Amino acid sequence: MPYLLLLHAALALGLVAARRRMGRWAFVVAAAGPAAVLGWVVAMAGDVLNGMPYEEIVEWVPSLDLVLSFRVDPYALLFLLVVGVAGTAIFLYAVRYFGSDPRVAAFAGTMTAFAGAMVGLVSVDNLLAVFVFWELTTITSYLLIGYFDHLKEARSAALHAALVTGAGGLAMLGGLVLLGTEAGSLRISEIVANPPAASPTVSLAWALVLIGAATKSAQFPFHGWLPGAMAAPTPASAFLHSATMVKAGIFLVGRLAPAAVASTGWWRGSVLTIGFVTMVVGGWRALRQNDLKLMLAFGTVSQLGFLFLLLGAGSAELLFGGLALLAAHTLFKAALFMVVGAIDHEAGTRDLRRLSGLRRSMPAVFWSAAAAAASMAAVPLTYGFVAKEAAFDGLLGTGLVPIMAAAVASILTVAYTGRFLFGAFGAHLEGHEPAGQTAHTPRNSLLWAPLVLAGTGLVLGFFPALIKPLVAQATAGAYGVEGAGKLVVWPGLVPALGWSLVSLSVGSLLVWRKEILDRATDAVGLVAVRFPTADGSFRRSVAGLLRFADRSSGLIQNGSLPTYVAIITLVAVLLPSTSLLGGVAGFDLPPTGEILELILGVLVAVLAVAIVFTRRRFAAVILLGGVGYGIAGLYALLGGPDLALTLLLVETLIIALFALVLRHLPAAFTRPRTPQALRALVAVLVAVFVFGGGLLTGAARMDAPVSDRYLQDSIPEGGGANVVNVILVDFRGFDTLGEITVLVAATLGAAGLVLPIIRRKENAT
Amino acid sequence: MNRRPSPILEHGIVAAGGPLLVFSLYLVFAGHNQPGGGFAGGLVAGVAVVLAWSAGGSQTVRRIVPIRSSALLGAGLVVAALTGFGSLFAGLGFLESGYLEISIPIIGKIKAGSTLAFDVGVYLVVLGMTLGLVRALGEDRPDEKGAM
Repeated sequence: MPYLLLLHAALALGLVAARRRMGRWAFVVAAAGPAAVLGWVVAMAGDVLNGMPYEEIVEWVPSLDLVLSFRVDPYALLFLLVVGVAGTAIFLYAVRYFGSDPRVAAFAGTMTAFAGAMVGLVSVDNLLAVFVFWELTTITSYLLIGYFDHLKEARSAALHAALVTGAGGLAMLGGLVLLGTEAGSLRISEIVANPPAASPTVSLAWALVLIGAATKSAQFPFHGWLPGAMAAPTPASAFLHSATMVKAGIFLVGRLAPAAVASTGWWRGSVLTIGFVTMVVGGWRALRQNDLKLMLAFGTVSQLGFLFLLLGAGSAELLFGGLALLAAHTLFKAALFMVVGAIDHEAGTRDLRRLSGLRRSMPAVFWSAAAAAASMAAVPLTYGFVAKEAAFDGLLGTGLVPIMAAAVASILTVAYTGRFLFGAFGAHLEGHEPAGQTAHTPRNSLLWAPLVLAGTGLVLGFFPALIKPLVAQATAGAYGVEGAGKLVVWPGLVPALGWSLVSLSVGSLLVWRKEILDRATDAVGLVAVRFPTADGSFRRSVAGLLRFADRSSGLIQNGSLPTYVAIITLVAVLLPSTSLLGGVAGFDLPPTGEILELILGVLVAVLAVAIVFTRRRFAAVILLGGVGYGIAGLYALLGGPDLALTLLLVETLIIALFALVLRHLPAAFTRPRTPQALRALVAVLVAVFVFGGGLLTGAARMDAPVSDRYLQDSIPEGGGANVVNVILVDFRGFDTLGEITVLVAATLGAAGLVLPIIRRKENAT
Repeated sequence: MNRRPSPILEHGIVAAGGPLLVFSLYLVFAGHNQPGGGFAGGLVAGVAVVLAWSAGGSQTVRRIVPIRSSALLGAGLVVAALTGFGSLFAGLGFLESGYLEISIPIIGKIKAGSTLAFDVGVYLVVLGMTLGLVRALGEDRPDEKGAM
């Protein structure tokens, strides 16, 4: 498995690196990735299905306890199978889809990375590793959706997807960390085996994880990004909608549902509600689309809602149906997207009002579309029907409301499937100009991939036993229940069949008597218009956020240096001093020192007072340096040669650098705009706080000073006799690393700010 | 202000720069056991840069240190960070110090610690900071152009 991931990484990097020399044939190379996954799945299937999950641990950084643990059980194997099958078909399809754009090879590389991230996501057993792969899919999907970067819609769709799923990912990271701490393990298998006990923290953790999964899987109210994501080239859309990305959220809820249900009371209800709302909203929006691809995209939203609730509800029966349906969804959705791609490619439009007569000119496309659509609508004798029967069967045990909601969504599904099929392959609508280009039969490779996937849907419809062991074992692995459901060609006269037939017949009626549907959609549309769309609310919230940032930074960052200094010092003084006032334990006046210390102290004080009354900047700088030197002298007297040396050098450099700055400033101070009294007040407050705070904290010690330990450990552990240095480079080395990073950033910032100003001045003279 | 500093001053300052740099390196190497360290060493080297500037302006600085300040900053940060990761991969904690004793004929045993590499990183960053600021702030003013 690690090699499989390395293969994807190598392919992705290699294709991006060699993009100039490879055209669209890069996809043939890229297909090696998913094909290898497929081969791996086939090779491992025997063992994994016989109760021997594949497990491997790669030691990464042992001293930090960072290990990469892989665990592929039947559940993960199903997802791998899905990625492998859809990936191989889509990659080979993409060879013909693209023209000779030089960027195609880089795109193929990104697709491979995307596939690899998904493979990693489903096969690791560690929550943090899941998060890493999760974010990798977000980043690569951003690149894929924004491929047509000259189009504004593609760019904004990519950003929309990245913002929503990225924000969800962050929420999820918080949830995963909390979950890991509460459960005492980051291993998924251990968390599922020993779920943390219910507590408010655990509830928060699960809620955050749920938000992350819902954003990724485009669940209501976060579904807005998915239809936008169809701005991507068709192969990416097909892959993203059918096998990767959106399935990541489904995967995670399905994986964690047993534990979540065990440690919260609300998980099941929330998942069911989210799923049903998403199902109905997605189905409804799909019905109203005229763009074939957009229709499929909203269809995906609807299907994802169904999968989300089936896998996430936390019951063996629903999981069984959900996994069966997941495989079906991959097969028909990938096929349908590729069909739309072929239509778009050959007829030049995806508007179903303008397409006409494609059935005769593109027979192979029509038959694969028909087979896939039949599976989507769950027509008997297709695999979609078999899977949906299993899902309905599971839902029947949940209650009347769920099954009715599912039936409504299924009716909508049948209706938009019909609209899709007749829209694409029937006559064009009155009053709309038919597609200009004469559609011709597309090249073979654009054909066979959807045909194979759709055909597989038919084969599985007759022989569901081919996939049943995988689904059954995956369910058994999650809940320890054997025989949670059945996958059969004909279920016999059972209640689930009734619900299927009702959905089918009402849906067909809506297809047949289009005017009923139109009247109904218009009526509901009048009401629905009043509700904000997901896309609109996303735009408004982003705009609002930017406005807020603009206003607040305008208020705080007003460009006045004295204001900044005042804000920073006042915050630094007021916050801790309020808590200091609460617990004054008494003063601990330090012993008066030697006469030399006294002299230096007085000198420092006199110099400091003198600065205030200086008119000329240069004099002020020199005096300030004098204060610094005086303090350095005090350090030296008190036994801190290192501090003294460093301070001495710092003061020297500061004076020198100040001299450089002063060349560009007027020689004398200008009269400040803010009242002097106000400035004095701030200064006195700071002085009182530093002085008083120093005395108070000195007296308030409760534990032994850490310096004792440092002194003791300096030589044995740090290997140095200079304890200050050992602290800097070893004990607190991480701090030092942070500090020099800040130093680098500050230098680059200062140089970047100063140079243009000076250059402009030069040009002006 | 078409005025050159006296050649004696200029040469004297440049001549002082060499020993200063040597001293700065001494501070880095001695720093683990005596006063000094990467930060102090970098500051001393920075002082040398400022001296070079006061001797002959940014031209002289450019001649003496023909490296971009951003390169120094970057190199320093990379060296420091890599040291941390190095300890990590050697099975120690992040930035935990490790030592190698190398014996070289004639010179004898040399104890090279990972902390030294870390200090070199700090040194480079501090020197890069001074150089960057001197370059940015010390750009020749138009009225001084003739002097160079």
